[in-house]
Amino acid sequence: MSTAFHHRLARIRALVFRHESLLLLILLAEWITFSFLGRRFATWENAADILRHSAEIGLLAVALTPVILTGGIDLSAGSLLGLCAVIFGKLWRDAGFPPTLAAVTAVAAGAVGGLLNGSLVTRLKLPPLIVTLGTFSLFRGIAEALTRGTDTFTNFPNTFLFLGQERLLGLPTQAWIFFLLAGTAWLLIHRTTAGRNCCSAGFNPEGAVYAGLPLSKIQTLAYVGVGTVAGIAAVIYTARLGQARADAGSGYELLAITAVVLGGTSIFGGTGTIHGTLLGVAALAVLNNGLVHARQPRETAGILTGVLLLTALTLTTLAYFRSSRKPSRTQPSP
Amino acid sequence: MSAVLELRSITKSFGPVRALRGVSIALFPGQIHALLGENGAGKSTLIKVMTGAHQPDSGELLLDGKPSQPLSPVSARAKGIACIYQQPALFPDLSVAENICLALEPHSALSRVRWKNRLQTATSLLRRIGAQFSPETEVRALSMPEQQLVEIARALGSGARVVIMDEPTASLPEQEANRLLEIVRELASQGVAVLYISHRLEEIAAIASHVTVLRDGESIATLPMEGVTHDQLVELMVGRKVAASAPLPAPSTASGPLLELQNLTCTAAGIRNLSLQIRPGEILGLGGLVGAGRTELARVLFGITPADSGSILLENHPVQIRSPRDAIGHGIAYLPEDRRRHGVILPMPVEHNMTMAVQPRLFPWTWIRRNRERSMANQFIESLAVKTSGPEAPVGSLSGGNQQKVALARWLATRPRLLILDEPTQGVDIGAKSEIHSLIRKLASEGLAVLLISSELPELLALSHRVAVLRGGEIVRSFDAPPTPQQVLQAALGYGEKREVA
Repeated sequence: MSTAFHHRLARIRALVFRHESLLLLILLAEWITFSFLGRRFATWENAADILRHSAEIGLLAVALTPVILTGGIDLSAGSLLGLCAVIFGKLWRDAGFPPTLAAVTAVAAGAVGGLLNGSLVTRLKLPPLIVTLGTFSLFRGIAEALTRGTDTFTNFPNTFLFLGQERLLGLPTQAWIFFLLAGTAWLLIHRTTAGRNCCSAGFNPEGAVYAGLPLSKIQTLAYVGVGTVAGIAAVIYTARLGQARADAGSGYELLAITAVVLGGTSIFGGTGTIHGTLLGVAALAVLNNGLVHARQPRETAGILTGVLLLTALTLTTLAYFRSSRKPSRTQPSP
Repeated sequence: MSAVLELRSITKSFGPVRALRGVSIALFPGQIHALLGENGAGKSTLIKVMTGAHQPDSGELLLDGKPSQPLSPVSARAKGIACIYQQPALFPDLSVAENICLALEPHSALSRVRWKNRLQTATSLLRRIGAQFSPETEVRALSMPEQQLVEIARALGSGARVVIMDEPTASLPEQEANRLLEIVRELASQGVAVLYISHRLEEIAAIASHVTVLRDGESIATLPMEGVTHDQLVELMVGRKVAASAPLPAPSTASGPLLELQNLTCTAAGIRNLSLQIRPGEILGLGGLVGAGRTELARVLFGITPADSGSILLENHPVQIRSPRDAIGHGIAYLPEDRRRHGVILPMPVEHNMTMAVQPRLFPWTWIRRNRERSMANQFIESLAVKTSGPEAPVGSLSGGNQQKVALARWLATRPRLLILDEPTQGVDIGAKSEIHSLIRKLASEGLAVLLISSELPELLALSHRVAVLRGGEIVRSFDAPPTPQQVLQAALGYGEKREVA
């Protein structure tokens, strides 16, 4: 039976591999389809546009991957993005901070928000879903309170808008930040003990403690990572739209989680990759952009996203139940 | 008079582990039959065969003297076989009456709940066993013994003719225990056959008419209680097991203690005022029943449930151990009892598991050095003879014994000064077992201090230089020379001393 278990695990690995290949195929299919259907879809111009519009959600998805690997979830990422955007705007306009300093402070505020999530999860042992459902309302609420719901921050200097609306070396400026952070995340997850320990925590948190792994530290850092990246995404968002509002990034958390899960990360924790997440982000971004070019109604995007995600979820769930179906529940192993 | 339930030569194996190798026992109406045996003698498996949770591999099962099909949980209940566990499994938010009647009423989503009938049934059942509380009480509000009474009432209500009681008094203070014994007698006087499992010999002497002793999955003897002495029973439980190997050379007494515990107390773990010493190169065996506080002590020393008071001295320096990381830093390693949950992370590769506790040393700046990891893993795979398809195979694909070797390798990699082994050979096949034994000896001879927890007496006695026996979170006896199995068991059972109020 132990060999059977081995084979099952091998099958799951193969499945994960297949899953990523599958995503590549989907991406290719999307590209070909929309090239035919849409005018001006298959252009460098449009590719850059897709990149520009997916940077924020892409950043959140990359940062959410380690959290989901530990078996957690963060629903507050979009709200925190909104709060950080408002903090950035207020510091720049009302406190007279230069944009750089305001941006750094907004990112720090994001880290503090993430630390709040992490501390509540690790210290009070509250379920991440509940904690971040709470901060989901809390962060957005503070953002709305700071602006009384109506205040928007605009008229940012062009030097700042360069970050969100211009190009650097041929690519949208923010794409470079996205690539840099995605690369860093890939190294952290796949080449350091931090990433490996996220997986250990996701597979078996108790086992991680008995191995002397710093479980609380791993979990806290994962949430701080999401908070920090939410701050960075807030600055990019503000630069792209040229305005900061309390409702910035609403719903982004769900889109980001969709991308992570679509990318093959198990919602139960333990397995997943950054490149999978990137493929997930790309599949969703191309789908949304392509449908606009093909002049399809917006609802179609929702339907197709749902179909894509459910297919992915079904696959990982099946894989999970196969791996967790112990060789035998009632019999001690030899 | 024929037996209500009779088992003849029942065997049951789990893979290569033979849990039952021929058990025969007969339960008669109105009799209290005691079942005795060490940890792991096969008592739980036997209960599960009787309640239909396990199907025997071979042997006969007779109901009222007639051969019967192997039981399923449903058919066992229908035939009137009920089991009352140490920890009652009731619905805490429902009333006593609901708990009693839920199992008795016909199951149909649409049938009306007849509250009056429920109350009447529950009241009369509770009266039959002399329970003092109202059937309308919420179960949550009842004490543990009262909850057991609810279970008994439910068993009676379902027309149980055989009631199996698995250590019902283990967690009860003496007065409550005595009341429960009264009720067991009352149950028997109403014609119920009772199978009574307990480690408390006085209790068994007080109520049982017959006793069956299990050892290594065999029913060794069935005797009438009258005229049997405690010594005889202990002898039967232990058997004349010969320590398989030569005695160990004792470590030099020249060196001071490596670890010294002074009045260590941890309320959460149930450890009380515990003091002990262990020298480098010494194997200190911890004896005692399951739940006596041995694993709990290990968890305190490893920082999982840190101590409340008392001191831990390592080489005469007081240390604080608040987390497993602290413990590892002080050179303490702990091989936990539950291998699959705590010992290894099953879906992770062998090599990842092996390097888990030495990550900071092996991977500076957290950067994984695959070569270092691979070579360390290969080294342990070779030196411990781990049978695996490779260092990258998930631990879950290995057999139990090899999983345990991986767990051991993880701790040997930390180069510990003190190694705590908790049931190191549980669920391990015989070959791997003797390999692990010689490894433990070798490590000790190299100067490692070993704290060995084992419920298997021959193993404990063959490996340990000294033995301390725990009961109720305290050391009740220590032996400086290897004791006899009888001595350990007597100390573990608390026989020969005044019984403690738990």
